Amino acid sequence: MTANEGTKGKDVFGDFATLVVPEEHTKSTLNIFMIYMGVLAVIAAIFAGSGLAQMYDAATMLEVAFIGNLILAIYGGLIAYVGGSTRANTYMILRYPLGRLGSLVGNLIVSAIPLVVWFAVETWLFGLTVNVIYPDNPLTSIAAASIWGGLLMMVTAYYGFRAMAILSYITVPFWYTLVVIGFFASVDLAGGFDKVWVARPEVIAPLGVGITYVVGLYASGSVITSDVARYGKKPWSGAVAWAVHVTIFMTALLFAGGVMTLLTNSPNVIVAIAQIGLGVGALLLAILGQWTTNDNNLWSAALAWINTTGKLNKRVWVVILGVIGTLIAGLWAGLWGMSLEPFINFAVYLGYFIPPVGAVIIADYYVFRPFILGLRDPKERYKFGPGTKYPLINVPGIVAVAAGGAIAWFTQQIGWGAPVINGIVSAFVIYLALIVPMEKLGISWGVGEWVESSTGF
Amino acid sequence: MASESIKGKALTYVLIMLLLAAITVVIGLLIKDITYRGYYLTLTLGGIVLFTSGIYTVLIKLKSDEDIKGIATSAIQALWISTSMGLGYIVTANAPYFQIPQAYAAALFVIGWVMLLFGLYSLLKLSRESGVPLAV
Repeated sequence: MTANEGTKGKDVFGDFATLVVPEEHTKSTLNIFMIYMGVLAVIAAIFAGSGLAQMYDAATMLEVAFIGNLILAIYGGLIAYVGGSTRANTYMILRYPLGRLGSLVGNLIVSAIPLVVWFAVETWLFGLTVNVIYPDNPLTSIAAASIWGGLLMMVTAYYGFRAMAILSYITVPFWYTLVVIGFFASVDLAGGFDKVWVARPEVIAPLGVGITYVVGLYASGSVITSDVARYGKKPWSGAVAWAVHVTIFMTALLFAGGVMTLLTNSPNVIVAIAQIGLGVGALLLAILGQWTTNDNNLWSAALAWINTTGKLNKRVWVVILGVIGTLIAGLWAGLWGMSLEPFINFAVYLGYFIPPVGAVIIADYYVFRPFILGLRDPKERYKFGPGTKYPLINVPGIVAVAAGGAIAWFTQQIGWGAPVINGIVSAFVIYLALIVPMEKLGISWGVGEWVESSTGF
Repeated sequence: MASESIKGKALTYVLIMLLLAAITVVIGLLIKDITYRGYYLTLTLGGIVLFTSGIYTVLIKLKSDEDIKGIATSAIQALWISTSMGLGYIVTANAPYFQIPQAYAAALFVIGWVMLLFGLYSLLKLSRESGVPLAV
């Protein structure tokens, strides 16, 4: 039972987009784990392994992937616990460390804008993958495949969490089995495991570069772990599920993708698998993996837009955003052949500011509230429900996110340290360095006031 | 009576999947000398179903007859994995890499479809009769 039980409002937006998840709608740890696995089951994860293969041999790749993912497990796990403990999604949680208006800006940065862009990019990649494998059919042209692929993803996102869970359950065990089969098949064709351990790129990069690369891959996803973790039966369900899936399975996927690339010398893992002779299996691998990941992008984007605008319900937003993303993928990139680079660059730029958002959540929930405000019980730290009052803007939170993002961007430009980690650490320190003395000196750190309505907005 | 019925049905569904998986492993043994790749494929997909169905059969048997939700939850979890592996057979049986002779590949392909369709049927039926959601 959380402190938020009994503070139910009206779920007018669907999927408890602005409300705490009621006890009767919570899911087992296994269920939460399967949803995370469905999100991870994306072809991009294996492609990312190809990036590592251009920097390291197999043994170092495994080491780098494990260390990077361990960092993500701790970072995302801490945020997931906040969601599991409060049963609130990311956008509701942000009302405390950023303030109510600040949370709207946070929503736009974390999800509302970038997730639509990534939905379009993944949909286009889906079309591209289908076209690479089946090039001579009008239905599998990049434009056509992007459009029907985008529509498929919209359908499951439209039907919400339950549809996503069912899709994950039927596809994920098979998908991971196929990755394993593809991995062993490439080893088999290369001549055995001896080849795996001797294959290496011409130049080996420093370990720090690879760890930064791995953390950067999933740092933004780690910030929104609460969107799924809030459904956990236990407060720790989401944190445990997240940590296990990212440490073990993300590491395994990166390694599998990297080894396939090392052994086949093909930067495109899907083409490599198709060349091995897994044919339709490779196509399904792409379809199922991208489907389960991308409907989650759309679902999270819809949640974010509801929390930003307070208008329309989740299904309407899924259709609006899905159509926009599908049009970008199918028409802009697929039919007109224009580059997605401007969209990607914009999302990447926003991406510098996302990890700092997670840092202020962690600083606020685990340090400021228990040790400065004296709220030792984790379930008492954030409260939601009609009538709850929030500051309009949490000034230290906004400053910390802006500064953390700027520091991440700047250190990327000058090539100093690990930009993603620089941003996270800076935002964490800046937030506490501002809010703790302000609170101790009696200076108001929150500006204005917003009272939650019966719809949770 | 209803709980006994659920337990009986759950065990039947899981054991049918186990039997189908056992047949695929036997097919794998038959083609072992023709294609080691096909043999390992059946050992992988069939082995996963045999292992999970075996474990879940024991778990279901250990549950009290009155524990309808617990029985259905275990059975649904086992059936999801079996159904997913059925999809695996459909996709991989005819893939060139495995070099499975046509007759055996056709058998695996058909068994894959049976596992997929029977899995979906049993999942829906168990979920409806027990009130346990499919997304357990």
